[in-house]
Amino acid sequence: MKEIPVSKRNLIIAVILAVVIAVGILVIENWPLRTEQSSAAATNEDSLGSTAAVNAIDQVFQVNYQEGKEAWLERICEVSTPAGCELFSTGADRMWEKYVDAKSVVTAASQAVEKVADNGSEQVWQMTITLSSPLPGSNKTQDTAYVVLAKTESGWKFDRFLMEEEINAILARGKTPTTTVEEGKK
Amino acid sequence: MKRFFLIIVVLTLLIPSAVYAQGTDPWSEVFQPDGNLNPDLIDLGVTTDHPDWMSIELPFGQSIDLDANYHRYQTPSGNIVVLPSASTLFFMAMNPQESGLTGSYGSLGNGYGSLISFLGLVAGDNLDWSKVQAEHPEYTSPDQFWGAVLNGQQDVWTYFSGWGFITTLLQMTWNDGALRSLYLLYLNGSQNCAAIPGGCSGIVTPPPPPRECPDPTVSMQQPVLVIQKTAPNNPLVVGQDTENRRGADIQVRVTVPPVIFTWYEPIYEERDVCRSVNSGETANCNTGAGSVINDGVSDTEMVFKECRTHVEHLPDAVASLQATAALDAASQDWITGRLGQTHYEAFVHQANFTLIPGIGSWTGGCDGGGTCTATGQALRVPFADPGTFNLRMDVVTTGTRFRGVPITQPRRVGIDGTMQVYVALPALVP
Repeated sequence: MKEIPVSKRNLIIAVILAVVIAVGILVIENWPLRTEQSSAAATNEDSLGSTAAVNAIDQVFQVNYQEGKEAWLERICEVSTPAGCELFSTGADRMWEKYVDAKSVVTAASQAVEKVADNGSEQVWQMTITLSSPLPGSNKTQDTAYVVLAKTESGWKFDRFLMEEEINAILARGKTPTTTVEEGKK
Repeated sequence: MKRFFLIIVVLTLLIPSAVYAQGTDPWSEVFQPDGNLNPDLIDLGVTTDHPDWMSIELPFGQSIDLDANYHRYQTPSGNIVVLPSASTLFFMAMNPQESGLTGSYGSLGNGYGSLISFLGLVAGDNLDWSKVQAEHPEYTSPDQFWGAVLNGQQDVWTYFSGWGFITTLLQMTWNDGALRSLYLLYLNGSQNCAAIPGGCSGIVTPPPPPRECPDPTVSMQQPVLVIQKTAPNNPLVVGQDTENRRGADIQVRVTVPPVIFTWYEPIYEERDVCRSVNSGETANCNTGAGSVINDGVSDTEMVFKECRTHVEHLPDAVASLQATAALDAASQDWITGRLGQTHYEAFVHQANFTLIPGIGSWTGGCDGGGTCTATGQALRVPFADPGTFNLRMDVVTTGTRFRGVPITQPRRVGIDGTMQVYVALPALVP
């Protein structure tokens, strides 16, 4: 019987080649169609958007009067667009004063219910929020919110809460399917 | 880019139309024929307000209160000219009744041409025009649609397909409060100041003048405000100054020149006269009415002689003063972005500081000449983040009174400044 000498190096190369070819075949066989790809990308964007919305809501409604307004704003600003951060920094003085007066210590849990609008660079999500105890000025521990997320270089960021008129307009649209509107289209 | 575009748009709208300066049009009191503001106007300064129509309702009954911000002037006849900030104007247009927009001179029938242009330029790209056209084919141009919105006939919110432009607009106003695009005129606004945008802040309300003398006049200069870092020259973040934790000192200073109230006192003098004789009196002088014998009685009466001018220097003292510092958005991005790439887990320690009252306090008073000042300091403010801090001071004055009569209403004024906080970063030198 003829003996064929095989070096250890050649053996390793042969094994690596075999693995690469096998993986290649599997990838090609399972290569998704183009539509599936874009659908997966959209789902991924939705997932990122809803996660950002949940994070933002949790930061806004997680209140501990002892941590101070600056710390609260910092947490909000970390998950917000610069404009969204400035909106809270500028307009939340009276809100925070109420938290301090009431010695509020509240934790929040939120859930993304449905994406109600999407124009590619912005998403609007309907959220449900549950608080550990009511905030001053309200007896509720559960409520619904509509939040705007904006796509930035560092991912989806919280921009603002929709105003009452905008919510009414969105609710009036009913259950029509979400359409993608090209921004700036006239 | 979007922001730059908006700024250009608003600046182009700033040029007032010379067409106003004609004839008996109330605008002729506001603008000179060349389109410049009439120098007779009293500059009431910038006033801010927190109207309901500019608050954003949050879940659980919470709300974010946005500032409505107006620069206002008073005309000699008591009309008030209002220049809202860009974001205030947008919200006014969205709430024309509640904001008092519809109460301004120049009804919708005369056309709010500039306002329609403003709305189209700041919000037009965020409307779903195909939906507007499908549901309302009667609007053959965007201007017609915006006109209907301002008339309250059309709900604009139904057609928005973009949302972020509102915060962009707000941010633009915060960063450049001087960006104002439209003049609104309120006839007799000084008499009905509670009903006009900005309310009665700073409005001049002179008492009724005596008949023989000219109307009293009021002139006032804008307060001079300064907010600045005084030491050290190059503040270091306190995290790198572990021994001293020096931080930085911020100083504020306000000088409110006196309100000059000029009024005219009618001076009467007693004069001997020969008046007609009444029944039961004995004539002792001749009235000069043609009689050759005495037909009158010697008497005295008060006769107007002259108007005596009084110039009062009324102190408008500082009633409240607040100062804050906030790390700007670009610096925050730099810390969490670029710095974070080279220094693991770099984060913003404290972006906002309430300087006065808080870390420091202020004192104030007025001198005999009516000039009021207030100064304050916040020492060793422990800035822990490098970058540009936006400094802001807001001041409210007491208003002025003369002999118990209010002459000017309290004024709200503010100023912005900036300061740098530094961090030492290691560098490789070849």
